[in-house]
This record gives sequence, structure tokens and C-alpha cells, in this order.
Amino acid sequence: MTTSKKTITRDEWEKRLNDVKIRKEDMNKLVMNFLVTEGYVEAAEKFRMESGTEPDIDLATISERMAVKKAVQCGNVEDAIEKVNDLNPEILDTNPQLFFHLQQQRLIELIRNGKIEEALEFAQEELAPRGEENQSFLEELERTVSLLAFEDVSNCPVGELLDISQRLKTASEVNAAILTSQSHEKDPKLPSLLKMLLWAQNQLDEKFDYPRINDLSSATLEDPAV
Amino acid sequence: MNSSNGNNGNNNSFDRLSQDLGLHFLELVRIGSSKAPVEIDDAAPNELNTINSSAGFLVVAPDKLSVKYTGVNLHGHDVGVVQANNPVPVKRLVYYFEIYVKDAGVKGQIAIGFTSEGFKMRRQPGWEVNSCGYHGDDGLLYRGQGKGDAFGPTYTTGDTVGGGINFGSQEFFFTKNGAIVGTVSKEKEMNRCLFPTISVHSQNEEVHVNFGQRKFAFDLKEYEAQERLNQQMTIEKTSLPPNISYGIIRAYLLHYGYEDTLNSFDLASKSTIPPICIAQENGFDDQDIMYALNQRKTIRQLIRNGEIDAAMNKLRDWFPQIVQDDKSAACFLLHCQKFVEFIRVGALEEAVKHGRIELAKFLGLPEKDNLFDALVMDCVALLAYECPQESCFGYLLQESHRDVVADTVNAMILSTNPKMKDVRCLQSYLERLLRQLTACCLERRLANGGQGEAFHLCRLLN
Repeated sequence: MTTSKKTITRDEWEKRLNDVKIRKEDMNKLVMNFLVTEGYVEAAEKFRMESGTEPDIDLATISERMAVKKAVQCGNVEDAIEKVNDLNPEILDTNPQLFFHLQQQRLIELIRNGKIEEALEFAQEELAPRGEENQSFLEELERTVSLLAFEDVSNCPVGELLDISQRLKTASEVNAAILTSQSHEKDPKLPSLLKMLLWAQNQLDEKFDYPRINDLSSATLEDPAV
Repeated sequence: MNSSNGNNGNNNSFDRLSQDLGLHFLELVRIGSSKAPVEIDDAAPNELNTINSSAGFLVVAPDKLSVKYTGVNLHGHDVGVVQANNPVPVKRLVYYFEIYVKDAGVKGQIAIGFTSEGFKMRRQPGWEVNSCGYHGDDGLLYRGQGKGDAFGPTYTTGDTVGGGINFGSQEFFFTKNGAIVGTVSKEKEMNRCLFPTISVHSQNEEVHVNFGQRKFAFDLKEYEAQERLNQQMTIEKTSLPPNISYGIIRAYLLHYGYEDTLNSFDLASKSTIPPICIAQENGFDDQDIMYALNQRKTIRQLIRNGEIDAAMNKLRDWFPQIVQDDKSAACFLLHCQKFVEFIRVGALEEAVKHGRIELAKFLGLPEKDNLFDALVMDCVALLAYECPQESCFGYLLQESHRDVVADTVNAMILSTNPKMKDVRCLQSYLERLLRQLTACCLERRLANGGQGEAFHLCRLLN
């Protein structure tokens, strides 16, 4: 048994769209929030000048955060750890998982650069003690160390650890931790809103035929099927 | 007939378009001037209703926030029941209130719950249809009949018990001393106006009620935050096309002519790891909004700095068709802004002179449906105040108003692009997406009996 859906015509829907009140200032805030969270410092500064929107976080702290993120993305983990501690020593103290992942990344970089002895020493001194405290750390440690067993790492089961995506994952984690320590949300608001739009349309689809936006990048309304 | 105009038809359609644009932005000015809240919710309950309570069986204290049983408790129809003064407001995620049992009296037959209008005010909430109640003497939940279901613990003197409605999950929930004891679905028949209700039924029973004037024993904020988080987690599972946010932000910067920001943004995207290239991947059609980027940026900055004459000169040089018709909405907004800028620096005589020359002609223009009148009057009213920014017309002196004028001119310039289709110069992609999101959420709530939270951008951001 099918329940018939109610149709909302294009004209009716456009009237509803026109009734919505969106303030330019709020859209500017959304843009600024994106620039700041993603770490586009210069763009945020320019946007403040061109639009008069105040950032919701101190722009000076963004450069520092971006330096940390960049360091991890380039594989300079020791440098990144030093910078994070300069920024706020509590971050790593209160975030054992993050600290472990940074140390793990350091181990990966040592292995990548063929520094096998150093890698083993590092694993035994720095990471093994943490592995003892925590089962999942131990498993991660074992996975990482197993890289050493393979001559041709590009084909081994844990080869993904050497991929740049692993660096990006760690970089993202440290970026989020810094933002959280600054009492700022770790994700920009815009992507969530876009998801909410898709979700809201799906919810509405159950009961109505109405003009939908199917392609977010063109933001054009497509008429309901007649 | 203008013989010098080669393309009469195009000019006419441009005029019509600029007319529509101008009026659209005038509407924005009007909206900017009003301080009305984005959504008006119904008045929340804040005290007990002494008019329809079962007066023979209870007495309500003068502060209307506590009751005492005065009946004898001979049978099931001499309950002392009282509702709140207002029904539960529905345009929110959760509604909640609490009672404190001051004295459980002889039998502790106290109840908290929700009842509809016209409830028999001599029965416990839950004993009649369209009502529900959590009873203290047996800990059962009653929903429209004399037999209750096992629900939670009993409660007595010294306990704080709360009753709430979660419009997201469409459930009733009850708490005891700060912890939830149970939930039950709010069936469709209860889709009517409900009142928070409390009752007492044996001698010496006394109950105090809290509609939010004092801190609740239950952490309502945490509960709401958790509910929103749960919904958010469901939504987060939706997948987005890659780099869509970057594309939308970029299009926004292009649309409004924020050229410097755009250049920094593009530079930064390239040096991201991995680099983000938007245009080719996602089919963003940038050509239309790249039009006259540098000129739009220049004019916007002039307007933002209050240099209206300079802005108008640039327009005359670069886009004469916009300022050709001196009675157009664009010219009107610019002339008004010039007036406002005089006021801002205290040059009142200059303002008056300018007003007489340029603004007076906009009053009483029948073909514009006198839309311009309101703004002219607001501008002129500024003259009357020593501190104009503190007056109710102070909105004209704010940066946000300069921004409206700048946005109007920006849209006008975009509309001179021969390749531009009509409505697209009004709204950026971001704006269109946000409007669609808001409209969908409102429609969804409407279909849900008008209950629950809807999306409002300003609430999210402020």
C-alpha cells in the first residue's frame, strides 16, 4: 500500500525560500569560521579587512597551529612535538592517544628513512612502555614494528602506514587537539550544514514531492517530478 | 523613442532586472532595521493556573508555585489537580519542568504529568484519555486509563521529580532526583495541546513546582546537548562530494567580490597537502561570478569606507547603465548612504543640503509604490538626535547597513554581465543552500505537527 506524497509546486516552494531570512553577517561568520578552523591565516586576515568580520579565534594562534600541522605532514615529528609543547604543554600531557600516535609516526619516519637501529631503539625505549599500559597501543606498536620484517614495504599488509595518508591522519589529530585546547570546535561548521541539507531533504522526501537541490555545487533547484 | 539606443530590448530587460534587484535589497534594508527575533515561540508556562484547578480539593499558594491538598480523599474523583497557566511550547527540542515533594502526607498519592485542555480536574493525570502521569505512590505510569504500567521508582517527601517531552524523539520522559527513570512514546493522539500538570490526593500533601525559575535537579542542558549530538552523529554519516566546502567558500568570495581574500585562499589551497583544485573537479561554474571581480572589489571598499562620491564616480566610469536612471533603487540607496555618512561625521548642514537636492525627489513616487518613503523618513529622522546611533534609526549607521548598499551595487554590476541569467546575481551558492536547508527543516517541522527544533543560521552562530 503506497501513501501518496503531497506535491509542493515550484512557485509555492520559492515563496517559502524567499520568506527565509538569512543575514549577510551570519554568512560571513560561517566563512570566517571555515577559514580559521582550516588554518588559512592570510585569507582570514584579508577577509577580516574586506568584510569587517571578526574571527572567532585569535589569528596569531592559527599560524602556530598550522606550523605544527605542516611539520607532521612533512614527517618532521620531533619538530612538531616541540612546537606543540611550546604552544601548550598540557595538550600532550592530557592526550595520551595523540602522543602515542605522534611517537608512532616518528617510528614510521625512522623506518621510512632506513634508520633501522635507531627505529628499534626508539620502539623499545619510548613506545614499548606505553604499549604495556594499553592494549590498543600495543597492537598498533606491533603493526608498526612489523614493517621492519619486509624488504619490499610497498606490498606488505601494513604498507598503508607508510602512505602519506597516515601522516595526514596524525596531522589532523594534532590539529583537532590544539583547537579543542583553545576551546574552539575542531571542525568547521559548513560541511555539517551541507550534510544537514542532504539529510533534511531525505527526511522530507518521505512525505513530499518538492523542488530539490540535487547537486550541491550548482545549488540549482530541480522541479518535482510531475 | 530613443533612436540612439541600438538595443532597446536589452536595455529594457536590464532596467526591469535592476528594478527587481533594487527592490529586493530595499526589502533587506527593511529587515535589517527590525529587531524582531527570528522565531517567536509560544509563551512558556511559568506558574499554576488557579482558574480551572479543582478548587474544592486543593489550595494554591499566592505565588502560584505550590499546592496543598484540602480534600478528604474518599474516592477517585476528589483529586486536587492543577495545570500550568500555559501549554507546553512545542517549537523546541525539549520541554521540562519539576516538582519538589514538600510533604507526601498520609498516602503520598502525588502525580506529575501532562494533560490536555478540558481535562477532568478531579482525576489524576493519566487516568483519563489524552493525559499521562507518573504517580508517586506506586511508581507506575498512567496513560489514559485507570490501570498503570510499571515505570519507575515510587517517590515521597524530599524527592524532586521532573516531567518532560522530547520533541525530537517524540517521547515523554520522567526523572527522579536528577536521573531519568524512564521514557515512553508520545502517541499520535497526544498531538494536541498539553499542559504540565501536578496533583495531590491525600491529607497534608504539599508540592512545590519549578517551571525553570530555579535551577533544576536534572541537568537539562546536558540532556539537550546529548540529544543534539545524537542527531548530529546520524547526520555526520552523510557523505559529501570531495572539496565541496572549498568550492562553496570560493564561490562566495567571488560572488561578493572579496578579491584579496580569494587570492590568499587560492594560494593556500595550492600549498595544502594534498593540494586542493576545485574548479575542474566539481563543475563549479565560476565564469559568471568572476566577471568584473576587481572593479566590484574596488567599489565595495569605497562604499565600506563611506566614500560614496568616489564609488558613484567609479560606477559612472565603469558601469554607467547602473547610474543612468537617477531614480533607480541603486541610486536611491547610494544617495541615502551619502546622507547617512554626513550624519555620521556630524555634518548636519551638508546632510540637509544633500537631502533636499537628492532625496526629496524620491518621496511619494507612485510607480515605486512609495517603497522609498520609509527609508527616506528613517534617514531624515536621524537629524533629530544628538546620538543618532543610539536611536531606533541607528541601524542606518551600522556597518551592516553599508554592507547592504555594497551588496546591492555588487549585484547590479553582476547583472550587467551579458552572460548572466537573471536571478543568479542575487544570491551566492551558499545563500541558496542555506535557504533550502532552512525551508526543508521548517517544512519537516510543519509536517511533524509544528513540533521540534528547526534550523536557523543565526541561532547556530550566536
